[in-house]
Amino acid sequence: MLKVAVLLSIGRHPASGRPRRAPLDARALELALRLPGAEIHAVHAGDPAEPVLRDYLGMGLDRLTVLEIPAGSDPVPALVAHLKALSPDLILAGRCAEGGEDSGMLPYLVAQGLGAALLPDVADLSAGEGTATLTQALPRGRRRQAEARFPLVVSVHPAAPEPRQSAFARARRGLVEAVAASAPQDGFIGECEIRPWRPRPKRLRLAAGGSALERLKAATETKSGQGQVLVRPTADEAARAIYEYLVEQRVIGTS
Amino acid sequence: MRTRRDPRAERQAKLVPGTARPRFLVGAAPAGFANAGAATGPTGRPRRDPRASRAAAVVRTAPRLRLDWTNKGQASLAIGTAQAAAAVKAAVRVIEEPAFLVLAVLDQPGGAPSDHDRQLIAGARLLADAGGGAVVAVTVEGVSGLGEAGADRLLALPADLAEGYEPERHAAAVLAAIETLKPRHVLFAESADGGADLARRVAAALGERLFAGVEALSPDRASRRARGGAAEMARAPARLMSVAADALPPHEGTVHEARTIPAPAFEAERRIGAVRPLAVDPDLIPLTETDFILSAGNGVTDWEGFAELARVLGATRGGSRVVCDEGHLPRERQVGASGSLVRAGCYVAYGIAGAPQHLQGITEVKRVVAINTDLHAEMIKRADLAIVADAQEVMPALIRHALERRAERQGKERRNA
Ligand SMILES: Cc1cc2nc3c(=O)[nH]c(=O)nc-3n(C[C@H](O)[C@H](O)[C@H](O)COP(=O)(O)OP(=O)(O)OC[C@H]3O[C@@H](n4cnc5c(N)ncnc54)[C@H](O)[C@@H]3O)c2cc1C
Repeated sequence: MLKVAVLLSIGRHPASGRPRRAPLDARALELALRLPGAEIHAVHAGDPAEPVLRDYLGMGLDRLTVLEIPAGSDPVPALVAHLKALSPDLILAGRCAEGGEDSGMLPYLVAQGLGAALLPDVADLSAGEGTATLTQALPRGRRRQAEARFPLVVSVHPAAPEPRQSAFARARRGLVEAVAASAPQDGFIGECEIRPWRPRPKRLRLAAGGSALERLKAATETKSGQGQVLVRPTADEAARAIYEYLVEQRVIGTS
Repeated sequence: MRTRRDPRAERQAKLVPGTARPRFLVGAAPAGFANAGAATGPTGRPRRDPRASRAAAVVRTAPRLRLDWTNKGQASLAIGTAQAAAAVKAAVRVIEEPAFLVLAVLDQPGGAPSDHDRQLIAGARLLADAGGGAVVAVTVEGVSGLGEAGADRLLALPADLAEGYEPERHAAAVLAAIETLKPRHVLFAESADGGADLARRVAAALGERLFAGVEALSPDRASRRARGGAAEMARAPARLMSVAADALPPHEGTVHEARTIPAPAFEAERRIGAVRPLAVDPDLIPLTETDFILSAGNGVTDWEGFAELARVLGATRGGSRVVCDEGHLPRERQVGASGSLVRAGCYVAYGIAGAPQHLQGITEVKRVVAINTDLHAEMIKRADLAIVADAQEVMPALIRHALERRAERQGKERRNA
């Protein structure tokens, strides 16, 4: 049977700052729940008393393992040790946490620790014998398919399916299983100066040089095009001109 | 007996010949000094030539005289000779013995350096110039023009890394480069095109901390967003950093050498395979992400033809506010200040007047094609290719033309195969 581990973290609501289900981790769990016949092990490293964990249970989990580590410590060693013992085929995690350092390193460190392959930005997946077929979400709405062997770590993209709602009764019924774990204190964040984020002015792409008039124009006017104008062509001429232009700009392929 | 002075003759003797207005050198002139065009005066101070500096400040003379005193160098360059331009171009800054190296690992989506890559090199330049270091751009073979972007050295990886999707091999190549060059800093592009992934793979393999998504960088301080965007984390620049898009201005001014240095050999295990792009329905891609938009305005009445054209060309449909208000298109397809700000590579506007609120939505668009019956519409001015014609006539012609060309192509392929 396919053994899937899902790494779950606690998110932070962008407006209120209150803890919530991390949106990408919830999507990772959703992908796992959609895999037919998978044995799902949900793992969180942190505080087992956190009420938000129940929201994950309410999505359809019977139990959730919490590796009990103090706040502000590095969860990676504890997670790697736990996953080594569990040896799952597939490990799912959100591509970036929300509310901590948010560096997006965790899936990579776990993959490194386990010696597993890693595929980022996954929006959909299906599992076969010993391999998984995955759909990656790329910028500009493109998608790419790839295959990878187990053990495999997958980081989940926001384009993955919406997570299902949490059911209250299931959330109450589910079991949070606390496991003692050791975690080294994370010194790196202590070295950094942390303060509230203030939005920066957007950097304008201004052309340096030229006359003052040109610089003012570049800064204030909407960009004007190259201005090739065809006045009252026949419909066929116009169609040919547009098509040639689109091919020339490689907007539509010639293959 | 006193000698009689002749003040007129004395004055005449001090006249400097060869200038337009009479000029006199009062005081002791050094022997043999009679050169009016000399760069320094008799006292050794630089002599200003107001006529020449005014001539250099002339931007244009017709239809009205315009002078630009603020940017004299630039103005004289603009009207200066080709020689002067060549002299500026030839001034390449060479760093022969760098104190340390800064690596900029370029992202190069599609094989060519992006704006983000140029910003990355500028960031590396900033760190290198603070202590006499040199910038090494890690790129792929066949890329040029990085000297202007500020790269001192080029390390070209095999070109097939940019074409296929082999993140493990790419990371191994960068790791080998870091191993041999031992740079003080390595900068990656924090981009979804592969740079963010590469940075994390390298950091995990090195077991070093990545300072990800740097938003502001100076030689002694780097900062990034954390805690879901609510906090700013700052510290001295780390060894491994990835730089967010549009966080730094591109490099300007000096041209660097961009000398090619050999790329080290590398080996990688391949665990990801069977990679292929998937066909997606372009009409389902959100407007803000898509690369090709076909947009309709109040000048379009044939909505079935419009949908058909979008399908044939493989474009995402958009529209102006008027057509969304009238219900011809759903609200999420509205382009403009109160709709989506799009960043497509190409935007085809059918019957859109180009109101400021609409043009604000397409400021980031690279190429605009406009079809409008009104020659004086703003959209026609904004367009790279403007067609003054009736949209309802051009649409079916374009559909026909596109289908013909596709049939031709397929016929040719079948014959080749
Ligand atoms: C607060 C505010 C916010 C707004 N936000 C937006 C926004 O986000 N997006 C937006 O689009 N608008 C916005 N608008 C509305 C905007 O000001 C314009 O009213 C709107 O963009 C005009 O749309 P249009 O160009 O399609 O229509 P029109 O102004 O009616 O222009 C139609 C054009 O089609 C041409 N035409 C007519 N017949 C044909 C034909 N047969 N073939 C070819 N061409 C033809 C005409 O010459 C004309 O140029 C906003 C306005 C306000 C006040």
